[in-house]
This record gives sequence, C-alpha cells and structure tokens, in this order.
Amino acid sequence: MSDGKNVLVYGDISVYRPQGRVQLVARGIKQDEGLGFRHLQLEALKERLAAEGLFAPERKRALPRYPESIGIVTSPQGAALRDVLRTLGSYPARIVLSPAMVQGEGAEKSIAAALLALRGRSDLIIVCRGGGSTEDLWCFNSEIVARAIFACDAPVISAVGHETDVTVADYVADARAATPTAAAKMAVPDLEELEEALRYTKVRMMRALWTCLERAEDRLDHMQRALAARRMYALARDSRQRLDYLSQRLDGAQAGRLDRHRSRLELLAGRLGAVGPRATLLRGYAIARSGKSLIIKAADVLPGEEIELVLGRGSLLCRVLECRENEEVLL
Amino acid sequence: MKEEETSLEEALDDLEQIVELLEEGKMSLEESLELYEKGMKLAGLCQSRLESAEKRIECLTGELPPDLI
Repeated sequence: MSDGKNVLVYGDISVYRPQGRVQLVARGIKQDEGLGFRHLQLEALKERLAAEGLFAPERKRALPRYPESIGIVTSPQGAALRDVLRTLGSYPARIVLSPAMVQGEGAEKSIAAALLALRGRSDLIIVCRGGGSTEDLWCFNSEIVARAIFACDAPVISAVGHETDVTVADYVADARAATPTAAAKMAVPDLEELEEALRYTKVRMMRALWTCLERAEDRLDHMQRALAARRMYALARDSRQRLDYLSQRLDGAQAGRLDRHRSRLELLAGRLGAVGPRATLLRGYAIARSGKSLIIKAADVLPGEEIELVLGRGSLLCRVLECRENEEVLL
Repeated sequence: MKEEETSLEEALDDLEQIVELLEEGKMSLEESLELYEKGMKLAGLCQSRLESAEKRIECLTGELPPDLI
C-alpha cells in the first residue's frame, strides 16, 4: 500500500450522531487499478444505453446475404485484420479498410471516427481487434464507440478479443462474433458452397428443360397418333366408297357381258346348226353306224350284223341282209 | 453498394426465380427455352463473378500495409 493507490474497501458505514461523524469500519481492502470504479461506470453506461434501446434485439439489422462491399475497422498492423482477410478469402467483395487505433490513448475516438468514415461506403462493417487484457479492450466499452456503431448506416459485426470478452460494442452491434475469424465467416457465404449451389442450379434448369421437352414430345407423339388414326379412318372411308363404285360398275359390266355372250351363243348355235350333219340328215340322208364307228364301205360290216341308221329325226336298228361291195349307187 | 451492374444477390435471386418457374413447367416450350437460356447466362455471370478473385482492398486513410497489397 502506498499513497495515491486506488483500493476497493469492503465494510460497514456507521453514523455517530452526537459528533456528526461518519465511520467506515473496513472488513477488507484490496488493491485495484481503478477497474472497480470503471466497472461501476460501465454498468451505469450499459443501463443507460439499454434504456435508450441501443441493445434492443428488434433494432438489430439483418446482415446482407451477399455483401458487395465490406468495411473493416481495426488496426492495419493487427493480426485481427489478417485473420479477417484470410477468412474472407476470394469472396468477391470490395474491402474498405478504415484504420483505427484499437488500444491506448485516443483509441475510442479513433474507432468512432473510423466507423463514421465508412458511411455510404459499405453494406457490412466488421469492427474488430484481437485478444488482449481487459485494459486493452476497454476502449470498446466506451459510449462514443457504442453510439458510433449505432449510427452506422450498415449492419455491424463486432468481434473484440476472445470468446469470453464481451464489450459494450458487442451489445450494440447487429451481430457479435467471438473472434475476428468468426466475424469474417459470418460476413460472407462459403464460396465453395455457393459455387456448388450454382452448379446444382444449372443441373436443375437442365432437368426442368428436359422435362419440358419430354412433355412436348409426348404431346407431339399423341397428336401424331391421333392424326394418323384420323387419316386412317379417312383412308378407309375413301377406299370403301371406291370399292362400292367399282363393284357397281363391275355388276353393270358383267350383266352387259352376259347379254352379249348369250346373243353370241345363239348366233353360233345357228351357224353350227347350218354346218353340222343334222341339217343334211333333215334333207333325207342317214348315217350308218356299227357300234361307235361310222360305216363308210359295204365291207365295213358282215351280213347278219346289226347296224344303226341315224336319220333326221330318230334312228333305225337294222340287220344287214347282203353286202354289195362293187355296186355303184347313183344318187 | 453503388454498383452499376446488378448485384450478386439480385442475380442469385433472379436465378432462383427462373429455376422455380422452369420447374413449375407451366410454360410453353419456347418460353421455357428462352428462360433456360436466360438462366444459364445468369448462372455463368454469377460464376464468373465468384471467380473474379482479385482482391480489391482500399484504405480510407494512409497506406495499406505492404503485406496486404
């Protein structure tokens, strides 16, 4: 203990009325780097800001899904900036560095000014610094930084220190990340996932178009078939008509031909009659037959043999009395 | 923010809409084809946008540390 030290004292306060004295009976005393006082101040500040609605969940803005321009408020020399840049990787966003002192004298104003300088320049802001002592991170507990974050025109991700360090900046920010690396991960979508999704989108489009084509093909097929059926019916109807017509003509032609045949037959019969033996027989001649063969000479038969004489009408069965071979008959 | 070209987000949203329309399959073949071509073009645009990996870092005050350039 020495003079001028900040201490924390636990004890009882009593008032001695007759002398109007206030007594502090200390039960414990602890050296303190002024943090106790500042913690009290911090609690008061948190209460005030909370009452003003700066921490209200309903006023927190949603982070853009695909930021085009990312503002970063941090020290250009810090490891935090390198962590963030490495994690953002090749994601195609513009990056605007707004340098700030993130510890020591004047850090609060520097951070606030850097935040305000990003107005109109980005659609997402990361304010960050790496881990450090409570003292080092204290500037992120200041009112001026809290109000600057609140006043930003883009959603702010705050990432100060490590997992366990929670500052006023974290309360005001639209999102809190445990570390700068986590903030960067939160800020941009995974590039590989995005590319994969894009590839899948292409596949989906191809598949959809394919389905559309197939449907059109089916429809075409269906129509073609309907058309073919209709044509077949038409064809069949035409054929039937033609068949009817032809058969009518055929009937007519056949009838005519039959008539012609009949008259021709009669004519031929007449002519045949004229040249055949019947007409001769009718003029008084006769045909002599023995069995099936004609008798031309008297020697063709023997006396006593039965022969047949075919006349113009009817026939005679005769018996040969005598064969006169050498006799000339005059007609 | 002040991009003249359509933002990646807009392009991706448009693309999603096109895919959904295509998958609905209520359009004629011609319309589908047209939409498909538009979608493919958009997908290509997004892809080339994602692949344009050149770092674009600017510094509002002072110089960028040399290791970041």
